[in-house]
This record gives sequence, structure tokens and C-alpha cells, in this order.
Amino acid sequence: MILDSLILQLKLFFTEDMGIEIDDIAREEESVGLNLKSHTAMIGVGGELNMMVVISFDATMLNKLIEVFMEGEDVAPEEEEEIKESVTGEVINTIIGLALPTFPKRGRGVTITPPISINDASKIQKHKDSKILAANIRTQYGELSISAIIAKDVL
Amino acid sequence: MLKILIVDDSLIIRKKITTIVEKLGHEVVGEAKTGQEAIEIYESAKPDLVTMDITMPDMNGITAVKHIVEMDKNAKIIMVTSHGQEDMVIDSIKAGAVGYLLKPITDEKLAEIIGEVFLEYACHENDLELSDDDL
Repeated sequence: MILDSLILQLKLFFTEDMGIEIDDIAREEESVGLNLKSHTAMIGVGGELNMMVVISFDATMLNKLIEVFMEGEDVAPEEEEEIKESVTGEVINTIIGLALPTFPKRGRGVTITPPISINDASKIQKHKDSKILAANIRTQYGELSISAIIAKDVL
Repeated sequence: MLKILIVDDSLIIRKKITTIVEKLGHEVVGEAKTGQEAIEIYESAKPDLVTMDITMPDMNGITAVKHIVEMDKNAKIIMVTSHGQEDMVIDSIKAGAVGYLLKPITDEKLAEIIGEVFLEYACHENDLELSDDDL
């Protein structure tokens, strides 16, 4: 249910705002752990709903998103890392923001943390009391994954 | 042409808004990454309009709005916000902001809010239609 909302909003954001069609969505629930791609952003969701949302982009996917955000303008080399970080942050922020009204109680009482970036990590390991709901999403420009890490007893 | 100050800690959002503002024929007179920077640039650049992020390090957008409105009660500040920040938007309006722009930011949304705040920039399409009728 939660992952469905996130996937739907991601799909709408990519197709309608970014102009990127989704070719395939492969869901992988109850994963043992989460393999991360080259650039990852994470947001904590609290209050009425407790979870962590992780979006991980491969390099070509992120480059395409940067190109769309920059509307074709070049990125100065000294700004490259900051741009990558702010694009991953904006994408995850926007998707969670769009998904919030679809959460229980229309997202009332739900708080979100500012996004953080995860660099130089290849995997998030599942704890015994947690569950990772994940989906790998393929586009013609590359791949990304979206995951919700929640308590084991949450549906 | 409006003079616009862009306040956001996200570089990509500052660039995005700059691109749209220039496309709409307005001028970016400054960019700030924090609320404190925004206040300092506002004093010197005297912009017609400020786009203000809500959550920023150092000083958040709501506090910055309060300070700017204290300096200039006619300041025109629109908040740039995400879903889920409704309470903070209300606090910003109470602090003196005149409107808000919900992400994702698009040309149309920014043009619309500018048109709401500055009526003279609101009716380009209608003006064109009227001109056609007049002919």
C-alpha cells in the first residue's frame, strides 16, 4: 500500500514533470537487504507513520534527471557534486510530498526529515524487526530503485 | 520587468527558478542559501519579489519572512513548498508571505503566482485575445 503510493507518484512525477517514461517496474518485497546504486537519497518519515524511504539512482539515470532539471544548461565542474546531491534530494522530497495525501489520514500528523545522501555504500542490510519493500524501476535512460523500510508488522 | 531574489538551500532549485524567471522576462537580482543571507541581500538589492524556501539551515524561511517584513512592510514574498508543509505555509502567510508555490516548480506555476501577486503580469493571454478582438 505505502510502496504502491510511492511508485505511483514516482511514475507520475517522472512522466508528467520530467518527461521520462517508465519501461518496467519490478517489485521485490521482503528483501534481505537493499543493494544501492551509485547515488542514493534517504528521508525519514515520522509521526503517524514511521518509515524510511530510500531512492537509489544509477549514474545514467541521475545524469538524465540533472539534464531535465537544468533544462539543457551545462553544469560547471565545481558544482557537479552539489547538483547531484540537490537533484537526488529534490526528487525524493517531491515524491514523498506528492505521496503524503495518499497515506492514511491523508498524511495528517506525518512529518518528514530533510533528505540525506548516502555515498560510497553498496548495501543496506535488513534488521530482523524490519521489512524492506522495494521496487526497481527501469527507464530508457537508466534505472532507479525506491524502497520503504518499515517495521515488520506494518502492512 | 520584476527584480527577483531567490532563496533556497538547494542549488538545483535556485538554478531552476532562475531559468524560469529569466524565461518570463524578469531579472534575478540575487540568490541566497539561508534566511540570514536573504535578509542581507534583500536590504541591498531591494527586490520586487522574493521566492523563499521554507526549510533551510541557519535561519528558516518563516523567520526570514518575519525579518524582511519588519524591514519592509510591502515586501512581496512567495514561499516555495512541498506537500506536507501546509502548517508551515500557514505560519509563513501569518508572518507576511503573500502566497506559495507548490513543488514541482514549473513555468506555468511560477507565472501564475507572479500574476496573482502583481496583477499587471497576470493577463498576457487575455491581453493578446483582447488585441485580436480589437483588430
